[in-house]
Amino acid sequence: MSLIENPIFLTQKRLVHRGGVFAAILLAVLIGASLLAGLIAYRSVPSNFSFDSPQEAGEVFYGWTLGVEILVVVAIGFARISAVLTNERKAGLLDANRLTPMKPWELVVGYWFGPPLREIYMGAVLAGLGLVIVLLGKLSIVLWLGTQLLVLSTAMFLGLLAVLMGMVFQRPQSGGIFLVLFLASQMFSFATPKLFLTDFLLPIYGIANLFTGEQIYSDQANEWSGLPDLFGFSIDPVLLTVGLQFITGIFLWRIAVRKAGNPFQAALLRWEIIALFALLVFFQQGLIWGQWRGNFPYLAGYSNRFDDNLNWLLPVVHGGTALLAIVFLAFASPQPESIRIKAMRAGIKSHAGIFSHSSVSLAIGLTAAAGIALFTHFVRSIVYLEVFFIAVANLLAITLIFALLLEFCRLRYQRRAPGFIALWLFILCALPAVLAAVFTNSELLKFSLFAPGCAALAGGNGDENLAALSRIVAGHLCIAILLYAAWWQEWKKLLARSASV
Amino acid sequence: MSDAALSIQNLRVDFPEVIAVNDVSLNIGAGDVCGLIGPNGAGKTTTMRAVCGLQECTRGSVRVAGHELARKPEALKRQLGFMPDFCPTYDQLTASEFLDHFGRAYSVPNRAKRIDECLELTWLTEKRSALCEELSRGMKQRLVLAKTLLPDPGVLLLDEPASGLDPLGRMELRKLLLDLRKAGKAILISSHILSELSGFCNQAAIMERGKLVMSGTIAELGQKLTLWKMSVKWRNNGDKAPGILRAANVNNLEVAGDGATFTFNRGADALDELLKTLVLEGVRISEWRPIGDELEQIFLQSGAKDLM
Repeated sequence: MSLIENPIFLTQKRLVHRGGVFAAILLAVLIGASLLAGLIAYRSVPSNFSFDSPQEAGEVFYGWTLGVEILVVVAIGFARISAVLTNERKAGLLDANRLTPMKPWELVVGYWFGPPLREIYMGAVLAGLGLVIVLLGKLSIVLWLGTQLLVLSTAMFLGLLAVLMGMVFQRPQSGGIFLVLFLASQMFSFATPKLFLTDFLLPIYGIANLFTGEQIYSDQANEWSGLPDLFGFSIDPVLLTVGLQFITGIFLWRIAVRKAGNPFQAALLRWEIIALFALLVFFQQGLIWGQWRGNFPYLAGYSNRFDDNLNWLLPVVHGGTALLAIVFLAFASPQPESIRIKAMRAGIKSHAGIFSHSSVSLAIGLTAAAGIALFTHFVRSIVYLEVFFIAVANLLAITLIFALLLEFCRLRYQRRAPGFIALWLFILCALPAVLAAVFTNSELLKFSLFAPGCAALAGGNGDENLAALSRIVAGHLCIAILLYAAWWQEWKKLLARSASV
Repeated sequence: MSDAALSIQNLRVDFPEVIAVNDVSLNIGAGDVCGLIGPNGAGKTTTMRAVCGLQECTRGSVRVAGHELARKPEALKRQLGFMPDFCPTYDQLTASEFLDHFGRAYSVPNRAKRIDECLELTWLTEKRSALCEELSRGMKQRLVLAKTLLPDPGVLLLDEPASGLDPLGRMELRKLLLDLRKAGKAILISSHILSELSGFCNQAAIMERGKLVMSGTIAELGQKLTLWKMSVKWRNNGDKAPGILRAANVNNLEVAGDGATFTFNRGADALDELLKTLVLEGVRISEWRPIGDELEQIFLQSGAKDLM
């Protein structure tokens, strides 16, 4: 079934057109035409403007056109898809569509391209007027092609994410809030061009790089020019962005299709979760690999030279990896109820059976993937393996404690679980920082769950300090063992209840 | 393998604190209408949602026309029509556009003609161009029924189909269901209102707290009844009748004019014997009937509590 025969797409198109598209298209024409008129005015009387060259004027006017296009197609399109799907799911229409013989991927495609049609029309108008601005501003056509490819790729990537979010959110406006938070979390990319995954998951570096390619390099522009490295290989940022979005998009697609077909099955298979996590983590470590080229903590090309300016880089990546693992565990870990049902179906009552189905084993898998990725910085500096082991053990403690806490609280407190999880995370992660501030004793900060790995990877640690960090990590792992015992007690209670009914 | 159009075997659905559906088995043949009866929270809607795959089952199997639904979901979805107890519609589409959407989704042949037929079947022909948001609740319910009938499924699951209908709509629905039954459809229908179901259900399944308390054909279930509330009227020899009834140890006997009401707790066969005795004693019986319909009596004695 092609898109134009897809019933959901056709119905969404009908609904969008019934709501009116003319005013939206007119608005896009007005915005684009105003910017085009600005460029024409500059070309007529350049002295009225403060631009140094026609190219600079073209870049500014095209930049604004592109900004509006991104806002409409990517941001509003995302909010539209997720709101429509949330409303239809709550109204029972998604279930009604699920009961038809349509294939799950047809459902996904219908909701992916149908609801944002108005935004797509507006984007097409703005892209067309943008092309005129590029030609009139004597800019390279590569700028237009590259930026439009990135906008299209990002809109499709985030659109797919919106389909997924629409299947989960309880309120239609949640999609917009999620997008704002998601974009806000990417903002630090602006301070660190080329080094972080977020520069490429969204087209931040790709677009900036295309624009700086047009400029005579200034110091600031230099940061945004050049090709990023991935494990020492230079790759075009546009290709890198599109490639990363495509590969991540494959996983999102699989989740969306699986959830559209049967909302009760797990979003991803266990190996898929670990594969996606590993992909993102390897990508991130690959981007910064060129700083040390496997000889951490010595700078690339030097056998014994530290760079204090880079002390922060690996700890930040370590913290980011731990946060990403927590996000994966929070979203991908199965509800105890679904584990219980699986266990009942398969007649599993054993400890190993529950363990293998729970998110605790997943936490170990994620840590293993992150550990292998981190090891790429140590392949030529084996003497620093103690640092590596502290970091991996710290990551294991973080993921295990979170997974156990998540399931323990879900089993024990059910609906009140998020509050208790937040409380425990505050105690384990933030309270040492608060106490360190209150007692003005920075040593207390090391007891924070995230601290030992970050401190070890910051470099410059003596043996004594590393030994202290090892002891703290061991303490954290003891907490994980205690939680494990409590977690298993809760499981035993649930299994006993299942057997008695 | 069962020959039933719809066969549910050992269905179980677990919710966190309760077993919502516990080991439910039902077989509904072509041309059978099974009334699924039970108080609120008995598990009727969960059973229906589990049958069509909208609710995760802990165990059990559902077969449609002999094939397991879980193994051939796409092929069998055309054979299974589910009408939920609320009315999901696209408010900004007209009634015919709404049906067109599902006609495409089900790849219904001669779609336009079939849409017209379904609109006529559900008495919505005049409303074909009205937006769904302009329809009353009862009309929306009919529209969703039309959507359910659109692919001409062999098995229909109707969850409280008459809850939003006016008295005329209920009568028309009853007629439509009788027509569908004659057309050989297997229908599982739930309702709180027993009088809606009696008359066209030839099977009943009574649920309470997730369990099937009783199920079978109405005739079979009638045989299992032990307590009958009866009304009798006679034309002559009326003075003999109360004596015969008292002698038969009926309870709560109330004689009024040429008739009486009583309860009888010794089963259907003994009740037949009592009628025979009255006739043999020369009492000319003009009326001999249970008070309330048979389905209601079955339900009242099924053990299902907290009745409507």
